[in-house]
Amino acid sequence: MRIVASGLLVIGAFAAAVTLGAQAPATHPDFSGSYERFGNIFGQPTAAQLADKTIPPRNGPAPLKPGPMKEYQDRLAAIREADRKGTPLASGYVSCLGDGMPSMMGAMFPIEFLVTKNQVTVIEEAFTQVRRILIDRPMKKVEDVEPGFFGYSVGHWEGDTLVAETVGIKEELRYQNVPHTKDLRIKERIHLVAPNILWNEITMEDPAVLEKPWTVTVAYRRMPDYTLLEYICEDNREYRDANGVQQIHVNK
Amino acid sequence: MIAVTIAPVFAHHSFAMYDHTRTVTLKGEVTKFQWTNPHGYLELDVKQKDGSVKHFSCEMTSINMMTRLGWRSNMIKAGDQVVATVAPLLNGDPAGLLLDVTLPDGRKLEPGVPAVNTFKRTQEE
Repeated sequence: MRIVASGLLVIGAFAAAVTLGAQAPATHPDFSGSYERFGNIFGQPTAAQLADKTIPPRNGPAPLKPGPMKEYQDRLAAIREADRKGTPLASGYVSCLGDGMPSMMGAMFPIEFLVTKNQVTVIEEAFTQVRRILIDRPMKKVEDVEPGFFGYSVGHWEGDTLVAETVGIKEELRYQNVPHTKDLRIKERIHLVAPNILWNEITMEDPAVLEKPWTVTVAYRRMPDYTLLEYICEDNREYRDANGVQQIHVNK
Repeated sequence: MIAVTIAPVFAHHSFAMYDHTRTVTLKGEVTKFQWTNPHGYLELDVKQKDGSVKHFSCEMTSINMMTRLGWRSNMIKAGDQVVATVAPLLNGDPAGLLLDVTLPDGRKLEPGVPAVNTFKRTQEE
């Protein structure tokens, strides 16, 4: 009887340990929730913005190598000239294509993070873009990932910071009109800097295009009462014509 | 007037195909208030001086942006008489970018066009 009782005690203690293990608080913060882009993005920063340490400093330009720099500058000049003539060049948005990586992390519309044990899911409201960061999974070789808009992302936690790495971004996509190759590697460090302010330090590595890694920091502010809205391109009247110019169908 | 959001406003695409140097004021009857993405549309029949009716399509922003500014899909309905301020298409087609609209009850709504101050308002009839 005594043996049985102690055996039960052992089983009970084991069960309790397993239960505690399952419910043990995570060592990293759960920053799940809806956020909006935050900080000084357009125009000159105000004195208050410069003093606010939760607003990241203005990002520097891409450190492009001479050839890609010329391609980039020619592209910007073509965009400006087309806009000046009132015949804007069609971006992917005109065809209702989402941004892909890393542009979607710029959060044109509100963005949602869902932190779960094996995956951090990022949903961008505009164009209903979804990407998955697989936690503690091995990275794949670039050649083993089919090129796409969001690529293949793995991540791990370094203390309170989610560290993610992404490969497999289509070469046709552009982040702020900057060209890249199939070897683009995007590293992100995502962490709270205040209870409701999340930073994402995004570093792009692409040795054929960039002189050195290029880091841009994006800040998000929590939207406590906001649920992301649906976004379906139901009636897209804009289109790209044969010359790559944005046009619109008009009901007459 | 609906308060402008403090969050930065991004454009779905360039608005360079609309005239930034003049606006047109359209007094007309709503034939449809289309609540869709990537843009909402206000379809208007506008009576001309010669008595004929000309149809105008007014492009708005994303309904997601409009929702966050306080718009709802039932705020305007077919048959409403409204006054719309639009930046017309440069190519002359009967369409424009809606900058604001005044409803029958006098409320004036803005769809949150990015960099709206870059459109010079001349209020041509």
